[in-house]
Amino acid sequence: MVIIEKAPSRLETVPDFITAFLNKLQQVSLNENELFNIRLCLEEAIVNAIRHGNKMNPDLHVEVKAELQDSVIQIEVKDQGEGFDFELVPDPTEEENLQKLSGRGIFLIRRIMDEVTYFNGGSSVRMKKKLKRGE
Amino acid sequence: MNTCENRINDVLVCGLEGEININNSPQLRKVFDSVIKRGEKKVLIDFSNVSYIDSSGLATLIEMYQRLKNIGGQLRFSGLNQKIMNVFEITKLNKIFDVFSDRETGLKDF
Repeated sequence: MVIIEKAPSRLETVPDFITAFLNKLQQVSLNENELFNIRLCLEEAIVNAIRHGNKMNPDLHVEVKAELQDSVIQIEVKDQGEGFDFELVPDPTEEENLQKLSGRGIFLIRRIMDEVTYFNGGSSVRMKKKLKRGE
Repeated sequence: MNTCENRINDVLVCGLEGEININNSPQLRKVFDSVIKRGEKKVLIDFSNVSYIDSSGLATLIEMYQRLKNIGGQLRFSGLNQKIMNVFEITKLNKIFDVFSDRETGLKDF
């Protein structure tokens, strides 16, 4: 199963886009926790792509692709920007960063997903999560 | 997202309902603005009916925590479901926020 959709670079459309995307994804019967976590990671990745990748340019879009193989869901989020170095984002759980207002999106993705890879200079992210189907 | 305010003694209980996401975090910030402007010092945010929160929602909560702290106020949280509690734990916000299982326990802590 492969789903590919394009999201416009408008933050206000992100929740509705994700709801529609997850409805298609529900063919794979995600449990409540998986649905919450995948939704959160999708939202954080798409919002980052719009803000930092496409720089809020409404003429650009974000491509989102989900693929299920052997109980592993793989999601790719690709923007049309120049990418940026995700390693530069400080750890939000360090004492001095705990009260900062930004920088948690990427961290949440890394902690929730089993495998996270940035490529194309940081303009694409691939996230993998093993699902608990039938276990 | 809906909000509902309820005063119990000197504590303002702010019940939230629905999802806190990139779309409605600004709306929540406005609610908190209004609470601060009214001079409230003890605020309990009840999450019993909140199903989802993202990093923009977390930032809004941190902002409220800081604003209240700056004026000598106190902020408490109650009723987080396990999925949202997990987000608090991953980001270690449970280290700075006072989180209680239910509204009554949170109220007693003020």
